[in-house]
Amino acid sequence: MSVTGSDLLGILAVGIVSVTALIAMLAGVFLKNSARLVMWLGLAGMAGAFAAAWGTYPSAGTAFGGMILAGGYASFFGMLILCAGILTFLLASDYLRKEGVEYPEFYVMVLFAVSGMMLMSAAADLIIVFLGLEIMSVSLYVLAGFMRRREKSIEASLKYFLLGAFATGFLLYGIALIYGTMGTTDLAGIALRFASAPPPSLFWVGAGLLLGGFAFKVGAVPFHMWVPDVYEGSPTPVSGIMSTGGKAAAFAAFLLVFVKSLGGGGAKVQTLLAIFAALSMVTGAVIAIAQKNLKRMLAYSSIAHAGYMLTGLAAANQLGESGVLYYLVAYTFMNIGTFGVISLIEQAEEKRLEFSDYAGLGLRQPFLGIVMSIFLFSLAGIPPLAGFFGKYYVFAAAVDAHMTWLAIVGVLASVVSVYYYLRVVVFMYFHEGPEGAEVISVPLLGSVALLLSAAGVVGIGVFPSSILSLTGWFF
Amino acid sequence: MIPLDYYLILSALLFTFGVIGVVIRRNVIIVFMSIELMLNSVNLTLVGYSAYLGDPTGQMLVFFVIAVAAAEAAVGLGIVIALFRLRRTVNVDEINILKW
Amino acid sequence: MDFVDIIFVVFALIVVVSAFIVVFSRSIIRSAFSLLFTFFGVAGLYVLLNADFLAVTQVLIYVGGILILILFGVMLTTNVVSVEIKTGTLQTVPAAVIVAVLSGTIAGIFWFTEWHTAPAREGPTTKALGTLFMTDYLLPFEIASILLLVALIGAAMIARHERGTEGGR
Repeated sequence: MSVTGSDLLGILAVGIVSVTALIAMLAGVFLKNSARLVMWLGLAGMAGAFAAAWGTYPSAGTAFGGMILAGGYASFFGMLILCAGILTFLLASDYLRKEGVEYPEFYVMVLFAVSGMMLMSAAADLIIVFLGLEIMSVSLYVLAGFMRRREKSIEASLKYFLLGAFATGFLLYGIALIYGTMGTTDLAGIALRFASAPPPSLFWVGAGLLLGGFAFKVGAVPFHMWVPDVYEGSPTPVSGIMSTGGKAAAFAAFLLVFVKSLGGGGAKVQTLLAIFAALSMVTGAVIAIAQKNLKRMLAYSSIAHAGYMLTGLAAANQLGESGVLYYLVAYTFMNIGTFGVISLIEQAEEKRLEFSDYAGLGLRQPFLGIVMSIFLFSLAGIPPLAGFFGKYYVFAAAVDAHMTWLAIVGVLASVVSVYYYLRVVVFMYFHEGPEGAEVISVPLLGSVALLLSAAGVVGIGVFPSSILSLTGWFF
Repeated sequence: MIPLDYYLILSALLFTFGVIGVVIRRNVIIVFMSIELMLNSVNLTLVGYSAYLGDPTGQMLVFFVIAVAAAEAAVGLGIVIALFRLRRTVNVDEINILKW
Repeated sequence: MDFVDIIFVVFALIVVVSAFIVVFSRSIIRSAFSLLFTFFGVAGLYVLLNADFLAVTQVLIYVGGILILILFGVMLTTNVVSVEIKTGTLQTVPAAVIVAVLSGTIAGIFWFTEWHTAPAREGPTTKALGTLFMTDYLLPFEIASILLLVALIGAAMIARHERGTEGGR
């Protein structure tokens, strides 16, 4: 096999991101005070990669001898992850300056994390799933501990690292057993064998271990214990990209392995996924109520959202799968937006992160109040915002798949979740702020990011077909 | 040739030791060593299958696992040293958020 | 029992016993050195499985790289001179349950599974593996190099001193 132009075109988007990361790293080493420059460089690179992904979208296929997907599905996830990366960059620069850690390495690591996520979501071979996952994870371990002077940040990093490496062990053992029983790591090859003869029981052990590894990465119960501490301790923009891009990449690989390759995995896997989904929705929603810290509340809410998305996977029908993809897009915009507002309001040394710090904010700062309300209403699933349609699709898919109980659990969990999302809105508009509360100046880049996210949440909510027409032919 | 079963059972045993180590030990570095045991067990499984299937893919995978293990070792010990600098401890239960 | 069987048993024993010491020893130094024997034992088993190049790699990277890193970690974070090296264990009961369940299931399933076996290949594997790296596995190979770079930058970044303090760059 020799590398051809079409191979390189197939990995053009992820290639642009990786090369940008390398150039950014060198710029960071050789130029002084280069953080701003590196940020703009990274933004330009990601915009170029976005254009490349958009351009290659119609030509779906594989590259490098069936190692990696090109176009179509890979482009869709590439664009989604790049959106998350671009929004994170825009929000991060002011946050980092506020915290006194504005170093170029932050942007370099985010770029590497983005390239890992893109690889993972484009994998056509378990090796690529694994390597993409590791690039993403290693970058995120470091980013979680980026504020080295803050104990919580380092502890989040350590906890994420230890549990992440532990999960990697299980995931790898799963891959090894699948390889042993199927004789290949190529997803298309596994699909062929799977369709031709019933696999031995050991294959199911491997698939189960792999499923556990993925469930860990998306933060689903019972593999969720790292989520609250890590999201709370990490720098806020990092929590944003971890919860959106990371989740999107993990779900992309999940779909590739269990839906595209194993055809939903059969009744046993679906039941298991349904149980994970129900547990995640209930646990996330119930524990989120008790939280005082907004980042921690969002962490539990992210567990619940992982549950909603798993509902679509458990249904294992076409509506469920495109529902999950739609949900991921909606979740990316609304969650990065929420973490963005938090990062603007937050003060150095983890101050102003509690509900009570938002008292009177809506009247004092109309712009922040309005965009935050949009994101929270969308997270709560209130029409006509994107979050509503995401939930609608996955629950409808569950009903179609004769899992009405799961849809009911989901609806109940979302009703509960309305309480804690709207509580923030109530604090913002109906509680008196403290006398002489400081008016936070909203930086230009940050407000651009918030406006883009809000536009995304409203736009794909009003026109859900814009996403569905992109994803309709994937499954 | 030794039956494949023996290799697989040996590696399952090794994997189990690793899992136990992660669960019961409190020293971060020993937890990390236990994770290395798990990865070695995965590698042994892969090489075993590779030999018995007569297919080099398994061995290729092992190279990537080794690369990842090295990468994780570097980053992991970096984090441990950063933590030690702040807290002067490497025991997980003295790290208050680390409730497993 | 022929010669190969005896070698297998010896290596298997080395692996199991040393892994046991890694996990249960109360001295972290003893754990770390015991890990050395596990790595060597696994390398020996690779040789039995006709993976000669991998066996060498295992020794070079695990023993020469990762284990040294771990030892540095131990020495940088523990005051070796004092008696602080002892480390505690907890949760022995859940551990016993995990052992029983996990190894029981896996061993049982292995035992009852039919294997499709092909004749093992003989001779050195280095050339074949090298060719594969440069052909079918070119993309993973490049990705792995990026991963190692990420780890390098990340480790240097997180472990170095703060700028402006002693030892900063």
